[in-house]
Amino acid sequence: MNKKLIYLILGVVYLVIIIYGLNAVYNVEATLRPKEAPAVKPENKIAIAHTEIFGKLERPQVIFYHNKHSEALKQEGCKTCHPADEFDRLGFDFPKKVVKKDEKTVMNAYHDQCIDCHKKKSSENKKAGPVVCADCHKEKDKSIVVQYPIFEFNFEYHDKHVKKLKEKIGKDDCSLCHHTYDIEEEDEALALVYEKGTEESCYYCHELGKKRGPELTAITRVAAKKGLSIRKASHQQCLNCHLKYQEEYLKKGKKEACPTECSKCHTGKYKTVAELEKVPRPARDQKEKPFINIKDAKLKGVTFDHKYHETASKTCRSCHHETLKSCKECHDLTGKPEGNGINVARAYHDVFSEHSCEGCHNKKKSEKDCFGCHRNIPIMDIESVGSKKEACAICHSGEIKGPLSRPPLSVAKLDPEKVKKEVTVKVLEKEFEPSKFPHLKIIEKLVKISNDSKLANYFHKDIQTLCEGCHHRSPAAAEAKKDTPPNCRNCHSIAYDPEKLNKTRLLSAYHRQCLGCHEKMSLEKGRKCADCHKVKKGGPTEITHIKNENVVKQNKSRILQVWRPD
Amino acid sequence: MDRRTFLKIIGSGIASAATGNLLTPGRTLAKEGPSAKELYGILVDTTRCIGCRRCEKACAEVNGLPIPDISEKANESVLKTMRKTSPTQYTITNLYKTEKGSFYVPRRCMHCNQPGCVAACLVKAMRKRPLGHVTWDLNCIGCRLCMISCPFDIPKFEYNKAIPRIQKCNLCFGRYNKGLVPGCVEVCPTEALMYGTRRNILEEGKRRIAQNPDKYIEHIYGEYEVGGTSHLYLSSVPFEQIGFRKDLGTVAYPEYSTGFLYAVPFIFVLWPIAMLGINRATKKSKEDEGHHEEKGKH
Repeated sequence: MNKKLIYLILGVVYLVIIIYGLNAVYNVEATLRPKEAPAVKPENKIAIAHTEIFGKLERPQVIFYHNKHSEALKQEGCKTCHPADEFDRLGFDFPKKVVKKDEKTVMNAYHDQCIDCHKKKSSENKKAGPVVCADCHKEKDKSIVVQYPIFEFNFEYHDKHVKKLKEKIGKDDCSLCHHTYDIEEEDEALALVYEKGTEESCYYCHELGKKRGPELTAITRVAAKKGLSIRKASHQQCLNCHLKYQEEYLKKGKKEACPTECSKCHTGKYKTVAELEKVPRPARDQKEKPFINIKDAKLKGVTFDHKYHETASKTCRSCHHETLKSCKECHDLTGKPEGNGINVARAYHDVFSEHSCEGCHNKKKSEKDCFGCHRNIPIMDIESVGSKKEACAICHSGEIKGPLSRPPLSVAKLDPEKVKKEVTVKVLEKEFEPSKFPHLKIIEKLVKISNDSKLANYFHKDIQTLCEGCHHRSPAAAEAKKDTPPNCRNCHSIAYDPEKLNKTRLLSAYHRQCLGCHEKMSLEKGRKCADCHKVKKGGPTEITHIKNENVVKQNKSRILQVWRPD
Repeated sequence: MDRRTFLKIIGSGIASAATGNLLTPGRTLAKEGPSAKELYGILVDTTRCIGCRRCEKACAEVNGLPIPDISEKANESVLKTMRKTSPTQYTITNLYKTEKGSFYVPRRCMHCNQPGCVAACLVKAMRKRPLGHVTWDLNCIGCRLCMISCPFDIPKFEYNKAIPRIQKCNLCFGRYNKGLVPGCVEVCPTEALMYGTRRNILEEGKRRIAQNPDKYIEHIYGEYEVGGTSHLYLSSVPFEQIGFRKDLGTVAYPEYSTGFLYAVPFIFVLWPIAMLGINRATKKSKEDEGHHEEKGKH
């Protein structure tokens, strides 16, 4: 063959390779990212995956239908699958007979327990479960997420339990559920004791992830060793009791009173603080109105309405974050390791903490009804320079039976000459009409909000406190004595002052003060221009007057303009 | 060389340098305000803007542009679309809906410290005035290089006119000469726009962020972007969510080419002279040869 032919063949082959290569590159099938599986309704299903032992699974997880099994094994009872301890209480550690938790043992244990039972049932010609691998390890169940909503054992449930128990046995016996761990007891079997007057929430010892103080850490370590997370501990404690009484109730012909199915407790429905307000709180002989007084402290003691505050949160743990004792037992004047070094002043007054008095009060001030005024009022903490002594004295009265509420505020005593019913703002009048606003009505509304809230009522000692929401830089008492009203323009200039940049001008002072309040309090009216001041009929159409002369000249000339823009 | 020749050479050198200086537009000199002591700018607080568009109306009045309709009904429909500046609108306000709520963002020329448009302009029609205003002048040749060079896409060309102009905000340079603030700043009802020296408004922006950490994110847009601008923005949400570019970097646009441009005189003038000098210096001169020969002869 001659050279030319060889070159031609090579060229064609090369061309084909290029075309094929490009085609392949452009037509690569995009690997679809696996879509996040939508969470299915749990419906008493349990996902058996044990990723903590197996890591990445070879076969898909098994979705276990608990209902089917409890129905089928009614006669045989729960102990067919569930391990039981020496007190005949059911456990929830699966598989039943496994001590060493490694991959092979666990897998074999599950297979032995499940498949053997299925085979047995099938040989008895009864309805039985699958025995083939893929019938349990279903491919379609690969990415299902079975998640139950957290269950809140709120005060209502607690109250029901207390009442039901009293009905049954005629007296209060908290030891059925409550216990403490005696860390100093050497014999572990005797360490779990019940001491009357020390009943607390399960979370203190059984919430394993949280950092605790030195005393509790020792106990949580033991709980962690035994694998008793809040999940395991509560299931063990609650379900066993429920199962015991359920037999009784069913025998008596009553409908299922104690829930034993997953979704009966894990409903995903939660009660709000308001709904739980009237529910009686657990009685532990707590003082209704204790007097908090710290020895050697600078300020006088505080009368604290503990009974009212119990109704202000869903759980005692929002304040009693470590233990149910009083704050000053761990937080003293100088700071102890028990209190994580936090001294008592900070414990009560930390403005951003979730557990301190001021922290919670501060959060309440950002609610809709309060935020209109309180967005501008600086947070008062004990370190701020502007702390007024009068403000401290509101709580620190020093009286053992100090006042826990103030007389409600009222506008009746206001001098109508000084506190105008309607105020007209016309100093900036230009293209809008003067703005008239219902001054007295606003005060009345604020008074109503203040009287309706126990927190506001306690801190707003007199009606002049409310004035300072808008008349913010001058003390109300001093203004009341003057003859001239506290005009905004006394401080806010109309014209621009280049020397004082952050001094708000009058136009923006009005708009930001009024509009800001309306916005933060989510009011419907007063958000548009016309709500406060209508456009003046026949008023000026221009809003500025002095122009950039050169630019105007350039723009006005229409020499040889081809077409006008729209 | 004799004295006369020497003086001729020096004289012609000075003359050529002088004429060269007169003729070149000096466009490479886009420094930070040649003799400026303070630059003026505007601090825009997007958390305060209520979208009333009075700034647009005032700007139109002050500059002789068609006055926009800013009634409630008109605003509602106008704010539905994202707008850009146009030959008849030096400043526009856009509505952005974010997780934290709706924000209105007024956009206009950023009056950069070292503007790309000033560096790009061939005839020095775009100029950075001593006090920070970036203005456009009538010696424009309509090449539109400023439009390409602006990272914020601000200058707009009047395609509809036979004698077209570039239109953009001039920070009310005319009003400044009369001692007044820009029109938009004067009429803003919530003081979302604050005018002052760049130093002062930057300080004010930092103060606002420090005193309200929940309200603002910790960044002032324009502090360092493209070498710093005179329009500084404060925001409650990340700036990408309210229509700002985050990919601009902190190098001023003119600085990308200054190195190359400053090298031009060296390469075309000094380098040849240097080479010529060395060439002459290393060449064997004929006089020496003759002299040697003469010497040799004796």
